[in-house]
Amino acid sequence: MRLIALRLLVASSLLLGNAAAATRPHYGGNLRVMMSASGSLDPVELSGTVGGGNIARLLFDTLTTTDDRGITQAGLATSWQSDPENRNWQFSLRPGVGFSDGSPLTPESVAASLRTVNPTWHVAAGSDSVAIQVDPLNVDLPAVLALVRNSIVRREGGKLAGTGPFTVGEWLPGKRLALTAREDYWNGRAFLSSMDIDLGGNSQAVDFGRHHVVEITPEQARRVAGSRVSAPSELLALVFARTPASAMEGRLRGALSSSIDRKVIAEVILQSGAEPARGLLPGWLTGYDFLFSTDTNLASARQAVAETKQKPAWSLGYDANDPLARLVSERIALNASDAGIRLLPTPRADSDVRLVRLSLASLDPHIAIESWAASIGLVPPKFAGGSSEELYAAERVLLQTQQVIPLVHVKAAVAVAGVVNGWSNSRSGDWHLVDVWLGVEKP
Amino acid sequence: MCHGIPANSEDLAPLEDKFAEKIISVTGPGLLSLEVANHSSLNQAEVEAVQRGLITSLASFGGRVVNGDQAAAAVRISLSEDLKNYVWIAEIKQGAGEPSVAMISMPRLKLNISPLEGGSLVIRKTLVWSSQDQILDVAEIAGNPARAVVLYPEQITIYQSQGGKWQAEQSVPVAHSQPWPRDMRGRLAPRKDRLFDAYLPGAFCQSTSGLPFGVTCRQSDDPWPLAGEQFPLSGFFTPAKNYFTGALSPGIGGQRSLPAFYSAAVVPRTPAPLWLFAAVDGNLHLLDGTKDQSAILRWGSDIASIHSGCGSGWQVLASSPNGADDAVRAFEIRDREAVPATQPLALGGSVSALWTAFDGTSAIAVLHSREMGTYEAYRLTITCGQ
Repeated sequence: MRLIALRLLVASSLLLGNAAAATRPHYGGNLRVMMSASGSLDPVELSGTVGGGNIARLLFDTLTTTDDRGITQAGLATSWQSDPENRNWQFSLRPGVGFSDGSPLTPESVAASLRTVNPTWHVAAGSDSVAIQVDPLNVDLPAVLALVRNSIVRREGGKLAGTGPFTVGEWLPGKRLALTAREDYWNGRAFLSSMDIDLGGNSQAVDFGRHHVVEITPEQARRVAGSRVSAPSELLALVFARTPASAMEGRLRGALSSSIDRKVIAEVILQSGAEPARGLLPGWLTGYDFLFSTDTNLASARQAVAETKQKPAWSLGYDANDPLARLVSERIALNASDAGIRLLPTPRADSDVRLVRLSLASLDPHIAIESWAASIGLVPPKFAGGSSEELYAAERVLLQTQQVIPLVHVKAAVAVAGVVNGWSNSRSGDWHLVDVWLGVEKP
Repeated sequence: MCHGIPANSEDLAPLEDKFAEKIISVTGPGLLSLEVANHSSLNQAEVEAVQRGLITSLASFGGRVVNGDQAAAAVRISLSEDLKNYVWIAEIKQGAGEPSVAMISMPRLKLNISPLEGGSLVIRKTLVWSSQDQILDVAEIAGNPARAVVLYPEQITIYQSQGGKWQAEQSVPVAHSQPWPRDMRGRLAPRKDRLFDAYLPGAFCQSTSGLPFGVTCRQSDDPWPLAGEQFPLSGFFTPAKNYFTGALSPGIGGQRSLPAFYSAAVVPRTPAPLWLFAAVDGNLHLLDGTKDQSAILRWGSDIASIHSGCGSGWQVLASSPNGADDAVRAFEIRDREAVPATQPLALGGSVSALWTAFDGTSAIAVLHSREMGTYEAYRLTITCGQ
């Protein structure tokens, strides 16, 4: 057997390089990040995108959290209970937690924060807990409280304070965010000492000399070394402004869906940074997506158009600031024209149908679909339990409205320098920066 | 929390019964055809076992599986899964209408992991404990009945063996006034005059000696024992971080400190034992009471020693990465050279703790499986091989 020489040295005379051995996390260091712009630090505004959620979690905590398996865990609340109807809930608060402005976390501060975001809830402060009454009943309230928009925020004189692992050192909206680790963070000080977040947007050229972590587009992921991609989770979908006026219009919407070549969008336009969507929720989250069919069927689409004896023409709105959205819209218009449907892509907001991007708000599929339904103007489903059967039925109902046509599920991508350790690849694209640590940089 | 490993397709029997009942509630008793497709992480053998189990369960509810042309209902079953559950779906076609869908789900199970063998000496791992909650350390206490003490970040639980199963006997919360560090560590030390001591960052807990066991915890920076009871050396632990400060008690000869370190191992020598420390700066420090020498090794930050009786008698276990998961490998220290004594043993998760057991004959490794979200404590021993 080969000998491995220990190569004895004078103590402390030589430092190791960034060895590939499994080491425990190191404390200290400044992580430099580049990501898309954010003009606000309010979690309500940050909650619409994966990147926004990643910033919010550095500064704010929620009463509960959802782990990477979609299971609700304790956060600022240590335990909770409800009445048998799941209408009246009580959440016991973790003692000894403080906001970044020095004030303690109290039942009153938690109640005030939740009331601001959820005006229909009745939230009352107890001695060491908060009571929440929801109507209609909500079996998933603990998971709902894990949503970024329900972050506990102290709003005082136009300033925001959170209980999260970092505090704001400098904030230039849309440009730069500098953060410092809180030594007294209730869940253990972050390994990093500070973070410098450049909000300059996606970078076409990743430079690990300037940034340790760079948010990239899914199309870039295949070309960039050190890139990590999430499971396909963000939904790209067409959403009609109103319900179909007639059965015939419903058929035409079905024909539009059948005309779309989702594979081309996923594999060519997004360069395998997405997967064709069958249902609204991705299959890895539900296990049943194959029960829905969105296969391209141009013949049946043409037949449906021919049978309706109409030449449908709809305007298709897309976000003018999103180059990908324009490309996808143009491709869909091309597919639709092959079926005899006229779609006119436009950056205008008042279109007949819109191309939307919906980020996965929760790894609890029941919460995720409620959140998506609400955000596109559909009636959010209500669940009596947490079964797959109930979830499937709810998703089926939403698709049967023919107001939403799922297109593809897009992966979130990020480039991570080799010196960054402890990076965990979340399925939803969330970054767990509080667990990240910096190794020794190679010369 | 759960312990032990739910192992194989036998554990799926209750799901098979419920699923069969649902299917028959749609088709009614009678003849049906069955087609099974696997979209889950179950392997082929497990799928076949599930199919056999389903046929038996369907029969118990009055459904007989026959060829398609004889069947009154065609049942296509998809064995699928979501993030946390097996999701089994039956598409049931009767007549010309749309198929009905029946669905059932059950939490996914953890399957057995086989140890890798090789080399003249062999590391063996034996599962001691499995939990959804983070485990810091586990100690097995021999006796009648046998007991196991499990150290969690927020509690210490004593289990008693009853009829081959572990029953929780007592659970005591660990009081602490400061937040725990993110990379939480803790150590159990079985004692002769009481059941155990427990060391946590900035806290110390002690059990009582007699039944029923009581545990008291207090804020403390008492040094933690670094190896088994044969080598009574302790190190002071940094309360808010994940490493030892480097201050030793009572010291090794005249040496009372070294750079901060994550873990230690000891190898008996004449005239004095040789101590190895995996330092925070990445170096390995070797102290024998007269000199501190540092070495570069591509070892991980967790090391432990085992008195196996094989080879030179003592080996040092060191963690290292092995693809997505961590591995451990045993080395013998000969004239300050590390000689690989075993093949690396892939552990099937990341090592969150590796401690020399108190009797010195084994080590306890705690693994965290990110995929399953579980913590598993294994006893690692070294056998002499063939």
